Amino acid sequence: MYDIAIIGGGPAGYVAAITAARSGKQVVLIEKKELGGTCLNEGCMPTKALLECADTYQHVLHAERFGIEKAADHVQVNWAKINAYKQSIVQKLTGGVHYLMKRNQVQVIRGSAAFENERALLVETANGTSKIEAEKFIVTTGAEPIALPFAPFDGEWIMHSSHFLSLETPPPVLVIVGGGVIGCEFASVYSRLGSQVVIAEMAEQLLPGEDPDIAAFLERSLKQQGVQIHLSSSVEALDRTTRTARIRTPEGTAEIKADAVLVAIGRKPRLDGLLLERAGVKATARGIEVNEQMQTSQPHIFAAGDACGGIQLAHVAFHEGEVAARNACGEEAMLNLRAVPRCIYTSPEVASVGLTERQAREKYAGLLVGEFPFSANGKAMILQETAGKVKVLVEPTYHEIVGITLVGARATELIGQAALMMHAEMTADAMENFIAPHPTLSEILTEAVRGALGHAIHG
Amino acid sequence: MAENIIMPKLGMAMVEGTVIAWKKREGEAVKKGEGIVDISSEKIEMEVEAAADGVLLKIEVPAGGVVPYGTVLGVIGQPGELAATPAVVAEAHAKAESAATLATADGQSAATGTSAGASIAATAVLERPRDGVKISPVARKIAEEAGFDFTTIAGTGPQGRITKEDVERAIKAAQETAAPPTAAQAAPVAIAVETSERAADRAAESQPERIPVAGMRKVIAERMYQSLQQSAQLTITMQADITELLQLKEKLSPEIESRYQLKPSVTDWIARAVVLALAKHKQMNSALLDDRIELYDDIHLGVAVALDKGLVVPVVRHAGKMTLVELSRQLKSVSARAKQNQLAPEEMKGSTFTITNLGSYGVDTFTPVLNPPETGILGIGAAKDTPVFVGDELQRRSLLPLSLTFDHRVLDGAPAAAFLATVRSYLEAPHSLLI
Repeated sequence: MYDIAIIGGGPAGYVAAITAARSGKQVVLIEKKELGGTCLNEGCMPTKALLECADTYQHVLHAERFGIEKAADHVQVNWAKINAYKQSIVQKLTGGVHYLMKRNQVQVIRGSAAFENERALLVETANGTSKIEAEKFIVTTGAEPIALPFAPFDGEWIMHSSHFLSLETPPPVLVIVGGGVIGCEFASVYSRLGSQVVIAEMAEQLLPGEDPDIAAFLERSLKQQGVQIHLSSSVEALDRTTRTARIRTPEGTAEIKADAVLVAIGRKPRLDGLLLERAGVKATARGIEVNEQMQTSQPHIFAAGDACGGIQLAHVAFHEGEVAARNACGEEAMLNLRAVPRCIYTSPEVASVGLTERQAREKYAGLLVGEFPFSANGKAMILQETAGKVKVLVEPTYHEIVGITLVGARATELIGQAALMMHAEMTADAMENFIAPHPTLSEILTEAVRGALGHAIHG
Repeated sequence: MAENIIMPKLGMAMVEGTVIAWKKREGEAVKKGEGIVDISSEKIEMEVEAAADGVLLKIEVPAGGVVPYGTVLGVIGQPGELAATPAVVAEAHAKAESAATLATADGQSAATGTSAGASIAATAVLERPRDGVKISPVARKIAEEAGFDFTTIAGTGPQGRITKEDVERAIKAAQETAAPPTAAQAAPVAIAVETSERAADRAAESQPERIPVAGMRKVIAERMYQSLQQSAQLTITMQADITELLQLKEKLSPEIESRYQLKPSVTDWIARAVVLALAKHKQMNSALLDDRIELYDDIHLGVAVALDKGLVVPVVRHAGKMTLVELSRQLKSVSARAKQNQLAPEEMKGSTFTITNLGSYGVDTFTPVLNPPETGILGIGAAKDTPVFVGDELQRRSLLPLSLTFDHRVLDGAPAAAFLATVRSYLEAPHSLLI
């Protein structure tokens, strides 16, 4: 009999496990595959490793811009080594999670769990099925890619992001279905590593949900990198035998011969086989229903992360996992999603926190907008990364900073400062005397905040 | 609000301080941050800075006076504002006293430091009582602007930090309890004249819906009140016969539509007449700012647009240079975008004259309120078919009521009437609007 049983060892699950164990609880964590979940094994981390490879490759290719000449004009991508590097990162990180489990005395069981009733789980392991009973449960099973209704994944031609990451070499021609975060990131990485990439997105812009000006900026940059982008377009058919994708675009139908198709149209909660109904836990297609304490319809069962839908980001899962565990331990903790940064690792990067301009204009008349271009920043010139801008949204009455969006080099690092401003409920005037380090890209942020009140210095 | 200038506590040992010299006389204007009085303790001298813009209303302690720290030395405020009452003085004193124990570090730096260091210490002493409270910047601002004492709020943020939500909730709760006759207060009176049952009904009824005046409503409330308070506005009305204009509009509509994919409305035609009249009467295209009247050559036409949340006035810039069709296109564009909340802030400022149309609501004449700092605003009413004597003959004519509000500080009745007559003459000779 455990105090707390956690199903799923991804970001929500392992943080919940550590949190609960540190409160002195007996914790068991059941994981079907590898600790670390999608983020560490098939998502954030390996893709960012690839991205760094793409960046480095581009840097070396264009080193002349900095006066560095190569003796022989031959630079090549060694995919075996890239994969080994990527794998070594993943191993280090998952190893770290294993270590944390051990140090906090969390028992890890490798197997798949299903509820027998509201007090017990049946866990299928390599050594047979065992029953695990616990006082409290936390469900953190994550999410999985959604397939096109007419073209199930085959892992060979029609792939999702996880399939893709295990490819030994990149496809020469790649069709990506969906121009959201995942689609854009893969397009950016593979186009810069030499693939010819075509994106088909149903909405009128890439990154639906972010502001049109930001999406348009990314669209221009991707096109410059050679990515073909079809907006307001949908994939009508995927013909496996001829390896052809038929895409309906506003201009007509296009047929594209592709070596691989990446379907990135969204992710759905992974709840199959859990038998939640036996435990009396309510769930819909959007995920397990939870309140602000991450409590399900069964008061002693909690859920966190992508399994309960909402914002599918690892850092949200960390927070939810912690909130769920603290409540399961009898403390009181509330979900606080006031300032969740959103990072998109394309080239240039896109990052935002708080409201988009569209949302802010709906909420506040006379919204103040401060913009500042990377091209007016000295450090950006030095980096030769002058494409991009920051946009700061300030509400007119109290001058509270209600949203910040960045597109440009290192945007995902810079957004940390922006998230801090939002988390602390800063007002733009409170930032007036702020001293930004010079010369850094972060000066851009300070200038834009001041610009919102009409006080930019270098603008 | 009046701001007290208080004898700061400079160092732990300080019991009293001396006013050395006032740098300002009573009635003189002061700027925030400006030094206004030199004071000294036994050890150091320093300059006390004004904590707000305004006028030095009163000097309580003249030069040479020796007083305990926390004593009010003088008051800064707006001209005509009352000086602080003794109660306020006492409260300030008590606050400074409670801060005394906290001032150790600042006191030491002040005792040894430069005058800059000392003036920082002085400010710190004044604000100290509130400094111990954890509160986010925006929450503090909301509380301060509402005049709400946030030290009483229990914060729900990290480590009990007071968040924006906490303040908003507390202010709302305070407004609800402070609201006039609650059931308990109203009941005894009611029972005297009514049956208890009816009193209960009345009590149940007497809970009005309370909407905080915030956001857009607050801006409108402030601007409209300011407009009526700070100008001498009055309204004159006139009727224009727009029968021919309507006929001409009818006749030209298909052609304009096929050529420009646009249907100018009656308001657009009227706007064109207004713009032409403004070009002739520059006095109406003006603003009174401080002690001068500015007459503008450029005509930036504001047009009031009603949204669910309130009224906005998007601006068509350089309306004087536009043809009827261009003007119509711009007016449609700004009002459509206003309705979708897509206007940039710049598109809602800088108008030199405004028109507002209540005709579609069936209003005849009304008294529009000036959009400060403009001199004029033209209200458009509902055109009505009316029998009118043309010569000896009764004819059916469409009459449009026009209501012009103007600022009598800028111009008098006769020139205002002349402007309105020019608008009318343009409307009654509609071909002139096409040139």
